Amino acid sequence: MKSKRHLVSLAALSAVAVLSLSACAGGGSTGGSTNASGNYNISFIQGVAGDEFYISMQCGAEAEAKKLGVTLNTQGPAKFDPTLQKPIVDSVVASNPSAILVAPTDVTAMQAPLKAAASAGIKVVLVDTTVDDPSFATASIASDNTGGGKSAFDAIKQLNPNGGKVLIMATDPGISTTDARIAGFEESIKADSSFNYIGVQYSHNDPAEAARLMTAALAKDPDIVGVFATNTFAAEGTATGVRQAGKQDTVKIAGFDAGPAQVQDLRDGTISALVAQQPALIGADGVDAAVAALKGETVTKNTQTGFQVLTLENIDTTGKDYVYKSSC
Amino acid sequence: MTSTIPILEARGLTRSFGAVRALDHVDFDINAGEVVALIGDNGAGKSTLVKALSGNLALDSGEIRYAGGVVDLNSTTAASKLGIETVFQDLALAPHLNPAQNMFLGREIPAPGVLGKLGFLDTKAMRLRSKAAFDDLGATVRSMTDPVGGMSGGQRQAIAIARAVAWAKGVIFLDEPTAALGVVQTKNVLETIRRVRDKGVGVVFISHNMPNVIEVADRVQVLRLGRRIATFEAKKTNMEELVAAMTGALDGAGA
Amino acid sequence: MTQTAAPTGVPVAPNEQGKAPNFLARLTGIQSFQILLVLIVIFLIFTLLAPTIFPNWTNIRQIVQNVSILAVLGIGMTFVIITSGIDLSIGSVLVFSGVVSAKVMQAIGGSGWGTALVGLVVAIVVGLLWGLLNGFLIAKAKVPPLIVTLGTLGAALGLAQVITNGVDIREVPTVLTDTIGYGNVVGTTIPLISLLALVIVVIFGIILHKTKFGLYTFAVGSNEEAARRVGVKVDRQLISIYALSGALAGLAGLLSLSQYGTTAIAGQSQTNLNVIAAVVIGGTSIFGGLGTMFGTMVGLFIPAVLQNGFVIIGVQPFWQQVAVGAVLVAAVFIDQRRRAAAARGSGSKSKVSLSSLWTRKK
Repeated sequence: MKSKRHLVSLAALSAVAVLSLSACAGGGSTGGSTNASGNYNISFIQGVAGDEFYISMQCGAEAEAKKLGVTLNTQGPAKFDPTLQKPIVDSVVASNPSAILVAPTDVTAMQAPLKAAASAGIKVVLVDTTVDDPSFATASIASDNTGGGKSAFDAIKQLNPNGGKVLIMATDPGISTTDARIAGFEESIKADSSFNYIGVQYSHNDPAEAARLMTAALAKDPDIVGVFATNTFAAEGTATGVRQAGKQDTVKIAGFDAGPAQVQDLRDGTISALVAQQPALIGADGVDAAVAALKGETVTKNTQTGFQVLTLENIDTTGKDYVYKSSC
Repeated sequence: MTSTIPILEARGLTRSFGAVRALDHVDFDINAGEVVALIGDNGAGKSTLVKALSGNLALDSGEIRYAGGVVDLNSTTAASKLGIETVFQDLALAPHLNPAQNMFLGREIPAPGVLGKLGFLDTKAMRLRSKAAFDDLGATVRSMTDPVGGMSGGQRQAIAIARAVAWAKGVIFLDEPTAALGVVQTKNVLETIRRVRDKGVGVVFISHNMPNVIEVADRVQVLRLGRRIATFEAKKTNMEELVAAMTGALDGAGA
Repeated sequence: MTQTAAPTGVPVAPNEQGKAPNFLARLTGIQSFQILLVLIVIFLIFTLLAPTIFPNWTNIRQIVQNVSILAVLGIGMTFVIITSGIDLSIGSVLVFSGVVSAKVMQAIGGSGWGTALVGLVVAIVVGLLWGLLNGFLIAKAKVPPLIVTLGTLGAALGLAQVITNGVDIREVPTVLTDTIGYGNVVGTTIPLISLLALVIVVIFGIILHKTKFGLYTFAVGSNEEAARRVGVKVDRQLISIYALSGALAGLAGLLSLSQYGTTAIAGQSQTNLNVIAAVVIGGTSIFGGLGTMFGTMVGLFIPAVLQNGFVIIGVQPFWQQVAVGAVLVAAVFIDQRRRAAAARGSGSKSKVSLSSLWTRKK
């Protein structure tokens, strides 16, 4: 009967799919609990899978794990979305690894699931982002985002030594990292009397919106000299808006992060400077902290990593290693 | 043989679709316990007339009388309330529902007591009554619980007709009920039409099949270009005459 | 069902000899069982691959807990898809309802049950209003559901951002987070949120399969014109169903607040697609007229179990999406085959009426 045939073929199909996928699974396929011999099993949960920032972090973590002789398994949600990340965290916790490196996608939403992981005896290391109350975490390693904002201002200043009107093109309010960058930038610019800070615009992660906001801002203040764009979409939209207004020679844009797209924008001249984080270092430090904690050694509770400003002058020399990777 | 007041009567019905006048002051009448065949070439307005008389079509002008009184057939529900039922060419069954559900769709029997008030249904009663209705017509519907979409054209035809017959108190319209059927099945449909007529219901039978029309009808009304152009006593006419009337060769003739 | 031969009276086409009388019914009935068996097979494979971890209650428990909110949304989506409609707006309506509810609870203040109850009512009513808007535009204005709910998808999310200025509200009464969010049924380790979802699923499962409302849902999806002709108030039915979907999304909004402790405006980005996928995997036909609540629930667990299992055995995250996508396409393929088989089974003689009965050709 037809129904039976479908049934059998579908069941067989799913069996084959699951088995073949598990066959190509990377290291750590046994899951398994902690063992005393030092062969620790660490899971890294990205904020979003397939993003160069997190891939670079994964590369750094994997290299460090290899060096220390521990197993690292990486997982991540399809989008930067706590409703997608929570089931993954729960599943990872169920697989009972020795330690988890995790970039929480929401400070509140991920609090309870990660606290539960810590309560289950798993060492939790927060990387890049954090949660409301990170006291349960073994360690937190993140870019010094306030410092990143300061670096961004330094870049703007380098591009416009004479000062002038400056705007921030942000994505959405309420994201801890970008809020800190904005705060750092604001602090620096207010301390420098040659610059006139005209405020933050929120482009909601939409380049078209950023372009609209930028043209409107230029209509109001035609003498803007610099824009700090807090992410790629904001930077690209801002560049479009500047070009539409015919001001590409006078307005300098400083972007954040150094993925291949941003580096391309830098080479094209769309963006004049990039503030690069050090995701690989964050990943490596995270693995170090996890292993140290597992071995009972003392762990630095909070580590802040630095930045590198990339411009056309240094992108092929000293800045080369700071470019994010799209694969390890 | 028949009462003097027709059970259903239409006078001067008109309906245009844009520039096309589908019904052009058409008249129609049928008595209780009578089979009236409605014939005409494609586009003569047969289906449009049926839609108008079964509450499926708004009219531009004209008057419909039921048992002598003027009625407003503005919805199928209004027609159903009067006891007018229709079996459409496309059957209008829900293919995923079973025969009993189709039979009672829109007229469900609620479960007794509080459950019924909550919207629960007396499935068993509906099943039994459906089966009784099919048996009454001599129909063999194999299952009361399978979706009708999986049944043969003949079975679905049986369900559609049985549904109309079960609820029709005054008039039943059968739009091309034999178009999709074989010889034996067609014979069964004609037999059903006679049974329904014998129960005192007026049957309007629409068909292109002239031998069938002559065999089962008491009277034949011919439509052409949206008008009734002739009415014949079935026993006193023949195929040649009917075809001539349909094609316009006999314009103005007839009773 | 017994029958006598002798086809007198109304015509009956001879059926194939020896064919089981309940062929189509069994086939449709079996669809949800097929999918259940697939789930069991997947479950067994992961049990073999990770025997110490996968079948543990702690692991099962978290899968069940993570599926609960989607289950509430899946109820409404099952009704909607049975009418051959679609509701893309649920994720946004969830967020919007959560935002309004959180705003109201914030304004009232306090973290007790009184505040929480007001929040619950607000969330459901707000969701209901969005659903009514969807239903009205679909049933009365005759705009296709895909377009209407795509519109409200954007509108609801946009307005949620307008209301909050894009900043999540993170003040949720603690009674909600402690009980519904992460609490267990007293004396057990069963998540309270899952029990709540189960109760609602069972209630609406009964409504779908046992009441007039459910029957009309199938009738509208099966043949809208036929339903209209026999006096079913099709427009009212459609509006009610979209309103139900909206109200359940509102309720899910409150559940989400309880579980995440935040309005998570940027979250729920794939909720609508995940729920639609579950309903379709569960055997509900996207062409309408066919579906079960049980199937939807099984359909929710297949992607959830696959993801969980893959994470545990350490498969790369991208493969999980590939696997879920494959299951989805397989489910629709089987649905199509089933429809084609049903169309063939009904006999080729009645080609005129057949083609009009089945809106989509085999």
